[in-house]
Amino acid sequence: MPDNWGYVFSAYGLAAVALLGYWRRLVGRAKRLADGEGRTGNETG
Amino acid sequence: MTSRERALGWLAGLGLTAGLVMAFGVAPREATQGNVQRIMYLHVPAILVAYLAFGVVLVASVIYLWGRAAGADRLAHASAEVGVVFTGINIATGAIWGKPTWGTWWTWDARLTSTAVLFLVYVGYLLLRGMVDEPDRRARAAAVVGILGAANIPIVHFSVKWWRALHQPSTILGPEPSPIATPIAATLLVNWIAFTLLFAYLLTARMEIARFEETHAG
Repeated sequence: MPDNWGYVFSAYGLAAVALLGYWRRLVGRAKRLADGEGRTGNETG
Repeated sequence: MTSRERALGWLAGLGLTAGLVMAFGVAPREATQGNVQRIMYLHVPAILVAYLAFGVVLVASVIYLWGRAAGADRLAHASAEVGVVFTGINIATGAIWGKPTWGTWWTWDARLTSTAVLFLVYVGYLLLRGMVDEPDRRARAAAVVGILGAANIPIVHFSVKWWRALHQPSTILGPEPSPIATPIAATLLVNWIAFTLLFAYLLTARMEIARFEETHAG
């Protein structure tokens, strides 16, 4: 059977994009929340 | 980000790096399928971690219905979201593996279909959560779906045994001793551990966000 490296790299690439995308989404959301808290703290303080 | 979260993130990163080294540098070229079989080191750990994630949803949902603990609902929600990501990866990598080995991206085989149903059930779980505003009602409805949805996990796992399927039977977590060669089994184990660490990291990060949102909403 041929090696089909294209399929192998597609699978690993797709998984990397999905996991990195989800991780970046979580990190971005946490950062936005932390920034919002900082601003609220400044306004009330 | 807490120090526990950061440590888990580094461990997961190290585990994934080790998994890649094993998958491309240690595991041999498989005799029948050739190098395309290396997709297995991604495809199998993804579904095993999805089982774990949805198992956590089940336990946390039961705990929520039992004692109405907000933390249990947060855990179920976070675990369902991460589980959906891993199930999506399992389905997509399975389709990519299927094309060169079966000649098709998709077939309505029992394993593939039940996995797609598992994915849709938990996408539905997340959509349901987004549709109900009242927190206790939302948590109760989600807990019921989280418990019922878990019934699909054994159906997915044993589908290759219960029905005639194109998908190969279980070579790990099966009743018989695994016939996999040691380097292949070791690579699979390292990737399984790495994916489990990644799950723990993403789950912790997602729960932290949920806790923060609840604290500031209430």
